[in-house]
Amino acid sequence: MRKGAVVFCGFLMVVSGFAIFTATGWSFKTKLFPLSVAIPLLILSTVQLILMLLGKEETNEGAMDVDFATDVPPEIARRRVVGVFCWIVGFIALVYLLGFPWTAPLFIFLYLRFQSEVSWAGALASAAVTWGCFHLLFQSLVHIQFESGVIQTWLGL
Amino acid sequence: MFDAFIEGLLLVLQWKAFSLMLVGMALGFCVGLLPGIGGAATLALMIPFIFKMSPAEAFAFLLGMHSVAATTGDITSVLFGVPGEAISAATVVDGYPMAKRGEAGRALGAALMSSLLGALIGAFALALAIPIVRPLVLTFGSPELFMLGVIGISCITSLSGSTARGQIKGFVMGLLGLLVATIGQERQSGSLRFDMGLMYLWDGLDFVPVLVGIFAIPEIIDLAVRGTSIAGDRPPEHLSSGVLEGVKDTFRHFWLVFRCSVVGVFVGILPGAGGGVAQWMAYAHAVQSAKDGKDRAGFGKGDVRGVLGPGAANNSKEGGELIPTVAFGVPGSGAMAILLSGFLIMGIMPGPDMLTKHLALTFSMVWTLAIANVITVVLCLAILDQLAKLTYVRGGLIIPFVLLLVFVGSYTANGQIADLMVTLIFGVLSYFMVIFGWPRPPFVLGFVLGKVIETYLFISMTRYGFAWLTHPIVVGLIVLMAIVIAYPYVQQRRQRSREPLHA
Repeated sequence: MRKGAVVFCGFLMVVSGFAIFTATGWSFKTKLFPLSVAIPLLILSTVQLILMLLGKEETNEGAMDVDFATDVPPEIARRRVVGVFCWIVGFIALVYLLGFPWTAPLFIFLYLRFQSEVSWAGALASAAVTWGCFHLLFQSLVHIQFESGVIQTWLGL
Repeated sequence: MFDAFIEGLLLVLQWKAFSLMLVGMALGFCVGLLPGIGGAATLALMIPFIFKMSPAEAFAFLLGMHSVAATTGDITSVLFGVPGEAISAATVVDGYPMAKRGEAGRALGAALMSSLLGALIGAFALALAIPIVRPLVLTFGSPELFMLGVIGISCITSLSGSTARGQIKGFVMGLLGLLVATIGQERQSGSLRFDMGLMYLWDGLDFVPVLVGIFAIPEIIDLAVRGTSIAGDRPPEHLSSGVLEGVKDTFRHFWLVFRCSVVGVFVGILPGAGGGVAQWMAYAHAVQSAKDGKDRAGFGKGDVRGVLGPGAANNSKEGGELIPTVAFGVPGSGAMAILLSGFLIMGIMPGPDMLTKHLALTFSMVWTLAIANVITVVLCLAILDQLAKLTYVRGGLIIPFVLLLVFVGSYTANGQIADLMVTLIFGVLSYFMVIFGWPRPPFVLGFVLGKVIETYLFISMTRYGFAWLTHPIVVGLIVLMAIVIAYPYVQQRRQRSREPLHA
């Protein structure tokens, strides 16, 4: 955990360093704001890294943000995190390949059937309802233009 | 004046105007619930429908829809940790942890009641402030507006940790948000910055994919990791009593709600700041009003005051935004700019005429804001029991639908697959922020304010050089910023000096 925190802090230093390096070549007007932000960012993230390495950083207690579940064994938690990331990446890949209108019901069916282990009938019914709602709401009512997927484009559909 | 006030009410209560307001409210209700599809975008979609309406009908329809979207956006934020609207993001920070603790009803009751009070205060401000606010708006030039933005970020960053060292993380996140906001074309010279050779980044990053990624993805991952419902294995709260408790909370912390509403009105009046800023300013104020570090520690973990502040400011800023739009024809936000086009379609020129010739119409807007919010909150309170039950549905059944809504919402920003990638990237970044204890609110505020702050800085530097730093109001605001930053340290020292006495 501590190693990860150090890496994250290092990442912030790299981002600010990159911003400073890139901005120095710009005109005064263009670089004024990015530099006035990136320089203090680099300084503060370096201070934070030094505090971390010296073991003097503050604990997370009191940080104004949510806490994640801690009652799940780390190994299971890691597996579930990887699992849900795979689903998210898979969803985006499906949208790229098939477009939103096809992905919506397909993803709902696949997730409910194979991840949540809902019955075949339940997953199919949910997918059908999703398809109906998606078309009614986003396509007929709000008129959102969804790009076709790569596969439809290849097939000329 | 009083005659115009009553005439304004009668204009809204005409059957056609009232029916159109109800239709607008129904649309706003749905739009508010759906993540990403903003009230401003829907306003734009509805503009073509007002051509055949009278001015009173058109504004009842448009304002009814717009004001309700801000109220119902809080519902999705509380129940699923996904901001229903970009302007409801701050409600997630404490509202969703309350839902996870089994207090969804209480959080929703608090969010809705504070929204209602905020809307009423905003409407009241609109009715009263037009003659007063003109000199105030004219006093604030670019340097003063720049400093106000910087104070907003300082407020929230200085409150991001319980100790001085913890606050470094807050400042780092605020600066990172500002840096991310610089991506894309620089507005003044047109030069490209950090565009990585991608045309998608030329216009900079849109708020919706970033905000949705920052708040929704980590919550979805956490829900999947826990493998339970949002409220976990806790016994269901008695929902109606939970809602009642939330309503009571609003009145228990009435002065906080009032102050946050005033913050919302004030931010709404300032051109360009927008609702995204008002909610975070109000959240920072709610945190700052905590008595000591111990009292403050609950924020971000389900403190009802963190729901009340943004809820009130979100809705009061509607009235605030209308003030410069109606009185000077200067829209305070994107949504108000669209509304301004509605004025022009109706053949009405915002400005002094709105305070003389069309005063009744101006008051009809006040009434629409008030009536639409009262009806929505009463309706929501009636169906809240059913909505809050969603937090007890197994996570595995909720996740795919939330994911779908999240990504459809983010896709609406530009209609490109790249929007989904942005959501994913910021979702991953946000996940690590939470894991390693880096607060997200300063990042979001920095990101939201970045472009506005840079524009004001640029204008200030071009017009005054460094002399703007000596403007009396700027000096006053710099002192205020120093107080804001030093306040937690002073509070901490005071607490430490008290502790041995109590021991």
